[in-house]
Amino acid sequence: MIYYKKAIPMMKLYPLKLLLLLLCFIPISLYAQTTVRGKVTDFGSGKALPGVSVVVVGTTTGTNTDANGDYSITLPGASGKLTFSFLGYTSQTFDVTPAVNTLDVRLRESTTSLSEVVVTGLATTVKRANAANAVATISTREITGITTPQTMDAAISGKLVGANVVSNSGAPGGGIAMKLRGITSIFGNAQPLYVVDGVIIDNSSISSGLNAVTNAGGGGSSSTQDNASNRIADLNPNDIESIEVLKGASAAAIYGSLASAGVVIITTKRGAAGKTIVDFSQDIGIARVSKLLGMRTLTEDRVRASFGAAAVPQFVAARDAGRLIDYEEELYGNTGMLYNTRLNVSGGSERTQFFVGGLIQDEEGIVEKTGYNKKSLRFNLDHMLSDRFDFSLSTNYINSTADRGLTNNDNKGVSFGVALSSTPSFVDLFPDENGLYPNNPFGASNFLQTRDLITNQENTDRFLGGLTLNTKLQDSEMSSTKLVIRAGLDFYNLRTRALFPRLLQFQSNGNGTGGASIQGNNYNLNTNYAAFLVNNLNLSDNSVFLTTTVGVTRENFNQDQTLNVATQLIGTQSNLDQAGAVTVDQTRLKVRNKGLFAQEEFNWRDRVIATAGIRLDKSSNNAMVNDFNSFPKFSLAVNLTNFDFWSIDRFNLVKLRAAYGESGGFPPFGAKYTSLVSSNVGGSGGLLPNTQLGNEEIEQERQKEFETGIDIGLMENKLLLEATYYNKKVSNLIVFRSVPASSGFTTEVLNAGELRNRGVELALSATPVETPGLKWDSRVSYWRNTSEITQLDIPAFPLGAFGSTLGTFFIEEGESATQIVGIRGDEGVVKLGDAAPDFQMNFHNFFTIQQNLSFSFLLHWKKGGDNINLTQLLTDLGGTSFDYDDDDDGDGIPNAEERVDALGVSAETFVQNASYLRLREIGVYYNVPIAFLSGMFGDVVRSVRIGASANNLFTITDYDGYDPEVSNFGSNGLSTGVDVMPFPMSKRYFFHFSIGF
Amino acid sequence: MNRYIKHLRFIPIAASAVLLFLPSCEIDDIADPNNPTIESVMENATVDDLNNLVVGTESGMRNVLGTYYDDVGVIGREYYRFSGSDPRFTSDLLGAGSAVLDNNTFYTTNPWSARYRVVKNTNILIDAVNNTELITETQRQGYLGFAKTIKAHQLLMNLTLMNENGIRLDVADPENLGPIVDKPTALAAIAVLLDEAAAHLQQAGTLFAFSLSGYAAPDDVTGFTGFNNPAGFLKFNRALAARVAVYRENFADALTLLTQSFLELNTNFSRGVYYTFSTAPGDQLNPLFLPNNATGEIRIAHPSYVQDISPGDDRINKVSLRDAPATQSGLTGAYDVAIYTSNTDPIPIIRNEELILIYAEASIRTNQLTNAVTALNIIRAGHNLGPYQGPVTQAALINEMLRQRRFSLYFEGHRWIDMRRYGRLGELPIDRPEDNVWESFPIPFSENL
Repeated sequence: MIYYKKAIPMMKLYPLKLLLLLLCFIPISLYAQTTVRGKVTDFGSGKALPGVSVVVVGTTTGTNTDANGDYSITLPGASGKLTFSFLGYTSQTFDVTPAVNTLDVRLRESTTSLSEVVVTGLATTVKRANAANAVATISTREITGITTPQTMDAAISGKLVGANVVSNSGAPGGGIAMKLRGITSIFGNAQPLYVVDGVIIDNSSISSGLNAVTNAGGGGSSSTQDNASNRIADLNPNDIESIEVLKGASAAAIYGSLASAGVVIITTKRGAAGKTIVDFSQDIGIARVSKLLGMRTLTEDRVRASFGAAAVPQFVAARDAGRLIDYEEELYGNTGMLYNTRLNVSGGSERTQFFVGGLIQDEEGIVEKTGYNKKSLRFNLDHMLSDRFDFSLSTNYINSTADRGLTNNDNKGVSFGVALSSTPSFVDLFPDENGLYPNNPFGASNFLQTRDLITNQENTDRFLGGLTLNTKLQDSEMSSTKLVIRAGLDFYNLRTRALFPRLLQFQSNGNGTGGASIQGNNYNLNTNYAAFLVNNLNLSDNSVFLTTTVGVTRENFNQDQTLNVATQLIGTQSNLDQAGAVTVDQTRLKVRNKGLFAQEEFNWRDRVIATAGIRLDKSSNNAMVNDFNSFPKFSLAVNLTNFDFWSIDRFNLVKLRAAYGESGGFPPFGAKYTSLVSSNVGGSGGLLPNTQLGNEEIEQERQKEFETGIDIGLMENKLLLEATYYNKKVSNLIVFRSVPASSGFTTEVLNAGELRNRGVELALSATPVETPGLKWDSRVSYWRNTSEITQLDIPAFPLGAFGSTLGTFFIEEGESATQIVGIRGDEGVVKLGDAAPDFQMNFHNFFTIQQNLSFSFLLHWKKGGDNINLTQLLTDLGGTSFDYDDDDDGDGIPNAEERVDALGVSAETFVQNASYLRLREIGVYYNVPIAFLSGMFGDVVRSVRIGASANNLFTITDYDGYDPEVSNFGSNGLSTGVDVMPFPMSKRYFFHFSIGF
Repeated sequence: MNRYIKHLRFIPIAASAVLLFLPSCEIDDIADPNNPTIESVMENATVDDLNNLVVGTESGMRNVLGTYYDDVGVIGREYYRFSGSDPRFTSDLLGAGSAVLDNNTFYTTNPWSARYRVVKNTNILIDAVNNTELITETQRQGYLGFAKTIKAHQLLMNLTLMNENGIRLDVADPENLGPIVDKPTALAAIAVLLDEAAAHLQQAGTLFAFSLSGYAAPDDVTGFTGFNNPAGFLKFNRALAARVAVYRENFADALTLLTQSFLELNTNFSRGVYYTFSTAPGDQLNPLFLPNNATGEIRIAHPSYVQDISPGDDRINKVSLRDAPATQSGLTGAYDVAIYTSNTDPIPIIRNEELILIYAEASIRTNQLTNAVTALNIIRAGHNLGPYQGPVTQAALINEMLRQRRFSLYFEGHRWIDMRRYGRLGELPIDRPEDNVWESFPIPFSENL
């Protein structure tokens, strides 16, 4: 009895008391609590849905369904409302009375995803239905649901509204240029920031130094024409739960000076409490070249005219012996085998959830000896230490190898395509019985020998790690406050190996450099840290919610690139020391950023949602390292349908929204330094002034974006239209100016211009048919962007191609930022085209037939946008164009002669429309019925799925090249669409099998 | 409400956690991780710092040398420069059709900026030397003598191209460049600079604090061999001053200067100062070397060189008969320029054969015709020719002197300048009816004139 006097806490007695009460009183519900049980299933397939959130409206009481879709929840009162919500499904709310004990729910898959959350701050999110920005989101279903992309970058092509994504080539390992809402910088950073689970990751494109052999970019060992891949390609697309894209400053201001080109936020898959789920899947496929140009049909006269009289007997002999060879097919016609093996394991308990994703990928290219190989292992862990602390850990190790062949522009006649372009079908380039290749008499290299003997490999070892620690500081009915501490790390070592043995035609007999072994070692370490205080305040009886965030951020970027070029190789050796001469380049980059962040979000009954925020940034990259740059943002969304006056029931969403924000872009690294660079004599080290004059007053580019739009949902959101207009201005545009060379310098980086992008984005999501037998989800999107250089304080200048004779980009006040100019007869240099498309559209369609058969496809239409097609010019000059002797305009002059005659007279011939309609992805899958599975395997096998898919199945285009998507100059800057003998695109066909336990 | 207040006690803890980040909120200004900055040598530079600038200066002198020689050699009709990738050597430089020299094309801008880059380096070196306490006065004089001599040479090369259009002299401050001055002013300033350098060198002791390329052995012809101490370098300086003096037509001065130079009136023609090349890391290769019988990128001797050379003259070996003649843009030649046999051969900056010819020229122009004939006969004898037989008059000897300069200094960048000095550009052979012979290059576009 004494014990009672010592005031034992009530809690300790509670279980006992509860038990007593349960035993005695539940039948008559004296305690006025209602417990509801049930099962949540998919409306279409009837599949159980694990992980569905079940919440009692107006309280914090909630639970999740288990692996079998079952739940059980006890209401605090006798009656109330239960809301069932699940990502990708339309939420439903039900009234619960004491009479209800069982409530089975069938959730409908939502095409419109209004309930999913989108990022609004560095530590906060908002329901899409309340968002003030048009944030493009793609989910697992779109990323990997239709077919298996080779790399992460391939997984987003054609899928993002408002983005212009261009694949640089078809080389294994990818490489894309992505522009979000138009070009945002000319010389600064034009590629978006990538953030994976809070970790800022590097997306460099690092040259492997091929220029030392190809001389594509003049002197030096590397250039932007080396066809390097982007490092974002390392991610395993199958690990990704969703990709969210903040396209402009109005949404991306929270990332401040890192966000000038937009932000791509990637969230990876995580485990759910319940039974451990094991998914194993295997894809087997083939890759074939998506288009060959064809070879020229030769006759004796044609050979005489193009290859000289001496070649005629060779031609006749080869023709008579039936030895005319289609070298294009020989080079690009390989059937590449594709193997992808994935194993995902996820599960956990109430307090701990895990996800393990493994990938082994082994893919061959359409050119022999090329291919892509990746091993990726991801481990994600979520753990609640106590009611107060929880953390999320994301880790990923990747090892990838890409063998990319030798393509793109070169000035030595050594890349595959350039050598092919001058090689007629009658020469014999095959090795003899000793394995020795003959020299190519019509080119500087024998491309079959080049293909078989060279190595051009990128090899990456990468580790990504992110940790978020949440601490609940206080929690009450009115207010909850948490501390979020986040740390991220991205480390990789990229080794590039480009080996050119001295046996090669272009490395022997005084040609070339007697072999070359070009090896790069690139160390990259990014770390980022952040800490935020987030307070949610609930005022006026749940009618006003305020979310306040304050925090600090730090980002550190370190890069150390070493490129060794060893020449005069000893024998067949490739080690750097087995060489007569070695030159070394080292480039280091070190950036430190610090920022402060504050944001206030206001929500009045989901009717008016307003946000104001500011980020203050300083960076070692700025000229004034300790001056803060401030990046404000404001947004407002009004949900008309949530007001009492709204009476049109057919509309369940009418939202007006507007947002404004600013973000920044750093000047190129090193722009502020006036340095001395090494220049030696006979082994003595010397210094000369760099040709770039440092600018100690250089400022960041500043982007100011205003966006406004309307979202309309009809018929329970079966039809949802999102329409957005934006106006984005980039001021303080960073440009290179020539300075009087008598100063000893030739260029200076300075802020001297302004550009503007304006555009419209429309997205219509619909579920036209939804019956148990057939369900059809569809999404159609349309987007267009126009840019203009509104101010330029230096003279107009050409950029990023091969001069006005062949067509070049030209930065000029009052004109589009992506205009292409060139010579045209007596008119001189005039505008000939524009690389930016008029508009783009995509059509996403998903069909579910009889619950177990699904069929989906993605069509992508790019209308307009010009390329500079020099591939055609090279085949014309080499006398090998497939249409060389045709006469399309019927004027009696063959096509190729006409085009070659234009050289030096008009560049119009080379600037060509690159519109296309492409079936990017198509897939059909069959889920073996659960009843059948349980009959066969009992409870062991959860699901079995088989399917077939393809990508790039067809492309309709008038463009006369391997592919309208091409970029000789890689992902940098604005010079996409220059076509110089790229690695051709491939079509990929897959057979899929997956089994779940 | 109570609960809310109770939990407020966690706020300070959280706030202090956030504040932990703040004290470290200053960012260090990171120095360029890849290169030293110019500021780093501007105060109390060490001998090592200064020597790096000396080596960089010597190294930079070779930048874009190929384009410079192609400019003066092609316009001077010494050879044709054929290029598969660039037609402008045969169009613009030869004035084909309506083509003119462009003020924003590589042949104008690249040599100009390369020379001024070295001028900038010498200015940095001069500032650094004057702002350090870590060297002796004698050492200082050595650095200044070197810097000013090279600066004068680099300015002279740009003036050679721009000629009547002039050059900028005062280029120390990039934000505030001096005016473009005319040719006589520029030549006078270059002469003064060389004299200042000479005065420094005379007070520079017996050894430099820095080393230049080349060897100690005086007879090797590479780099600064034999000229890499103050006394030797002074002779190089005076030789350049003699060249400037004849350009200024101060022939008496030229004779005086030659006595202080390394002139030897004998057939030791190759003694002199050279640009050196090697395969060492960060070094350069001889840009004037192209293999014989190559295709694509080639230098073809102008046919007049072989037509006009005297029988037996061993200078015919400066060209080599090709297996097949080369043709481009209506120009044909059968001989390759064949002076250099490897890509590490040195290229002369100034050598004894030129000094002998300067001696001959200055003697002619000061009416010491016997001395002139003696000098010209040394040249003739050295090339397997008999003594001069022509009339001993100023006019005749000028012709003979220019002829010997043409063959002796072939492909060394003199023919165009010599014919220009004597107003004889009209005598250079024209290969195509529309071709022109240019007198001066235009001032580069980037100078914002």
